[in-house]
Amino acid sequence: MAATTAPTRAPAPAPVTRSPGVVRAWRIMTLVAVLAIAAVMLLPLVWMVATSFKPEADIVKFPPSLLPDQVTLQHYLDVWDRIPFARLYVNTIIFAGGVTLISLLLDSMCAYALARLAFPGRNLVFVAILVMLMLPFQVTLIPLYDLLVGLGWTNSLQGLIIPRATNAFGIFFLRQFLLSLPRDLEEAARIDGASEFRIYRTIIMPLAAPALLTLGLFHFMYNWNDLLWPLIVNQDQARQTLPAGLALFMGQHVVEYGILMAASVLALIPVVLFFLVIQRRFVEGIATTGIRG
Amino acid sequence: MALRRALAVLAVASMLVLAGCAGRGQESGGESSSGPVTLKFWNGFTGPDRPAVEEIVKRFNDSQDQVTIQMEIMPWDVFFTKLLPSLTSGTGPDIAAMDTAQIPQYAAKKALKPLDDYYTKEGTEADKLIPAAVEGAAFEGVKYSVPMNFTTLLLYWNKGMFKEAGLDPEKPPANWQEFADYAKKLTKDTNGDGKPEQYGLAIADHATIPMWPILFWQGGGAVVSEDGKTAMLGDPATIEAASYWVDLVRNDKIAPIGLGGADADKLFQSKKAAMEIVGPWMTTGFKDAGIDFGLAMPPAGPKAEVTLGTSVGFTVNARADQAKTDGAYEFFKFWNSKESQVYWSVNSGFPPNRTDIQASELAENPYVAAFGEPADKSRFYLINVQEFQKVNDTLFVPALQRVLNGKASVQDAFPKADADIQAVLDGS
Amino acid sequence: MSTATQVPAPPTAPPPPRRPGRARGRLARRQALAAWGFMLPSLVVLAIFVVYPMTQALYLSFTEYNVIQAARWVGLANYEKLLSDPAFRNALVNTLYYAAVTTPVSVGLALGLALLLNRRLPLRGFLRTSVFLPVVLSLAIVAIAWSFLLDPNIGLLSYWLSKVGIVSEQGWLRDPNLAMPAVMLVGIWKNVGFYMVMYLAGLQSIPRELHEAASIDGAGAWRRFRRITWPLLANQTMLITILAAIATLQAFDQIFVMTRGGPFFQTETVVMMIYRVGFQEFAFGYASAISWVLVLLIFGLSMGQLAYFRKRTVTY
Repeated sequence: MAATTAPTRAPAPAPVTRSPGVVRAWRIMTLVAVLAIAAVMLLPLVWMVATSFKPEADIVKFPPSLLPDQVTLQHYLDVWDRIPFARLYVNTIIFAGGVTLISLLLDSMCAYALARLAFPGRNLVFVAILVMLMLPFQVTLIPLYDLLVGLGWTNSLQGLIIPRATNAFGIFFLRQFLLSLPRDLEEAARIDGASEFRIYRTIIMPLAAPALLTLGLFHFMYNWNDLLWPLIVNQDQARQTLPAGLALFMGQHVVEYGILMAASVLALIPVVLFFLVIQRRFVEGIATTGIRG
Repeated sequence: MALRRALAVLAVASMLVLAGCAGRGQESGGESSSGPVTLKFWNGFTGPDRPAVEEIVKRFNDSQDQVTIQMEIMPWDVFFTKLLPSLTSGTGPDIAAMDTAQIPQYAAKKALKPLDDYYTKEGTEADKLIPAAVEGAAFEGVKYSVPMNFTTLLLYWNKGMFKEAGLDPEKPPANWQEFADYAKKLTKDTNGDGKPEQYGLAIADHATIPMWPILFWQGGGAVVSEDGKTAMLGDPATIEAASYWVDLVRNDKIAPIGLGGADADKLFQSKKAAMEIVGPWMTTGFKDAGIDFGLAMPPAGPKAEVTLGTSVGFTVNARADQAKTDGAYEFFKFWNSKESQVYWSVNSGFPPNRTDIQASELAENPYVAAFGEPADKSRFYLINVQEFQKVNDTLFVPALQRVLNGKASVQDAFPKADADIQAVLDGS
Repeated sequence: MSTATQVPAPPTAPPPPRRPGRARGRLARRQALAAWGFMLPSLVVLAIFVVYPMTQALYLSFTEYNVIQAARWVGLANYEKLLSDPAFRNALVNTLYYAAVTTPVSVGLALGLALLLNRRLPLRGFLRTSVFLPVVLSLAIVAIAWSFLLDPNIGLLSYWLSKVGIVSEQGWLRDPNLAMPAVMLVGIWKNVGFYMVMYLAGLQSIPRELHEAASIDGAGAWRRFRRITWPLLANQTMLITILAAIATLQAFDQIFVMTRGGPFFQTETVVMMIYRVGFQEFAFGYASAISWVLVLLIFGLSMGQLAYFRKRTVTY
């Protein structure tokens, strides 16, 4: 990110000198505060994981307890028998991964035009794209489904991925980021006659790496967790994604909590891993998006 | 510039053309074919029922090669969301299973095929089906479904908690007087903070298999008359029955307010409630929780001894041709055959759909027979009502919730809801 | 997904180099052509799979449509019905209530957490991760967890709270007065991490020298925050506030799973009503009309927010 003009990172301002006792008291208080906040944020996740290790009969009981009295791995084993977990994983990777990769490409190209190129009608296009985010999907679902039927695209990979191949939020997000890059980056290359695509590919996109990673995570996690869309488009059990598989443990009257939580934990892992890996660059990505409002 | 304008015109023009295609609705059609048939079958049997459903479908497919059932299971919410646009687009299921309460909505719009001939045809053994279940399959005199499952609701009572409260653990309440008395005795607020630690009854008012309507019926009232034409929520009998129980809940706190079906089940399962009126699906959970429970007919009310009958039925897409319909009939026959029904009952916990299966054949699952027994004393909820969701979810349940939460009295809220319901019934 | 959006800043087109007319025109034309080339794949996909269904939805808003049978033109009848429908008014009030509370609280909490995480802190990375983790979890599953935890009779949270004397007789999600705060809390909990990270990055780009100079001049922490930090965060605040407002005005997911709009419509938001009217009562024309009114509302509000912030943001 050497080309940006963002100032050096600013750690906390130097504290006024205090007595060591007060300093220690502050440290302990902040530690307590940190743990308290983390506890609130993580409580449902901890409950999920704990429940996945409890025998089913122990899950609904009074008085309730967070940790299992008896730890069982049975749910994690049963998951693989009850649903075709491996295939669901593969399908979901293909779906979420496919949408993410294609969307990053299309979103970034569109954002590049909106942020770095001058042309008449630029604002109009941008506003039109934004308005697309304001209509709830409940209302466009049926016309969209009819359209897919008309195209013969139900129960197909293209029907699943292409309607999501570009995303108004992604375009907006990347546009904001690209706006914050210095104006003169590509001028020299333009004067030298380089094609816009070359500029996009060799100059701008490498600088956009943090934002692309960030957006990639958003697209990935949104589609990874999406229940309704894949279920609506797909007709074969063989094509189903993880959320659809998980939903099979939620009966109309009886929810199989233990195995549901075990399956959810297993389904969570890729997204959490993705996040942990890109955490650092992620913060950079969102940062510069905000600076030029 | 010119290019931009041309593109804009093209875009608008094509959108107008395509917009005209919106709201097509049902198209006629359907191919006819001979030879092996593949039928798409959708249902919402997720959860612990799924293995049993899958097994029977597999057995059917394996047993012959003329008809193949291709099944898709998804949660009921998604099922109905997906069903709606697919019914008319040709991508829908040939067989859709749904609660009989949902059928009138689709039948009235001509999306489902009348199945009367299944019941008169030779060889389907339709005469062996439980009459109560068959009654539930009818809308305005025409049968639109074949029973897939059927059950009544029974009173569960926790024998251990009865004993602790000084009640005879083998004697469930037999009438409303006892029901109310026992419930009061079984409600305990030991620390005096106004919130009972133990409730006498778990009764759900929303997101549940209907429980309150049973109380109305027993008092001689109802939400809607059996022919689906007259709202009865404002009738004196309904109001009296409702007031009786609402007072017990609000003043004597025999049950928590605001339970959904799953909440009520969990309350009984965690031994915080001593009684619940619910279906067979909880027997395994309750047993595994170590509860020694008994099953009985819900206590008789002053006007009737009746419980809820509820059924999921197979429906056939109106666009299915003769070959597909015949294939479907074969499947229904197989599903409701003696062998399949014994397997189904024992493994799902639902009583069999047939009248000719002895309790001894179901010995593997000791509770199953009990749920089938009161079939003759069961009623369907909102039968013959075309707009089930509007009447129940939008008008009845909120009125009941308002009353239970003390926002309105039964005398005020129910007649008003009655008028609204009547308007809906008249309009459809 | 937070269907987040923001109305754009004015265009800052790169100034064309000073050249005689024709060459400048040629460069501009070349850029315009390239621009359309870049946008074309996205625009085509959006036009077909987003705009087209939207125009259909607009058309349907002037009809009576139950999906199974053909649509029947009714002109403005749906919109007229909207204006006098108490259910719509209720949903609108609930939605505005939800947005009016959730947006400032989310933004405020995000800022607070970012300020906290901007200091040298023990377990800093752990805290940052735990605040952000709810964002990536599946809402459907997490709502089950919350419903379980908040159950007034057998829920863990209720049990622990009762030990310190906080007892809710009916429980958060079933008490008509507490249901909305409960779904608000879950909404805030789920999204605060996203906004926090944006603020964090903003904080980290404020030059250290400014704070140091102010310290030397004797300014205390609060004064420094008010005069340095807060104004320099205005860009972030604007972006986050607008994003959050748009997302909260379309609140649906956790409400659908946790309360379904109940008890008796206390938590029914506009989008929840759209779902009910459309998918449960088969009145798609009416549902479409409601959603277009929502679009107008969101658009208007975004414009208003933009105007408000335009005067207050800092540009370098």
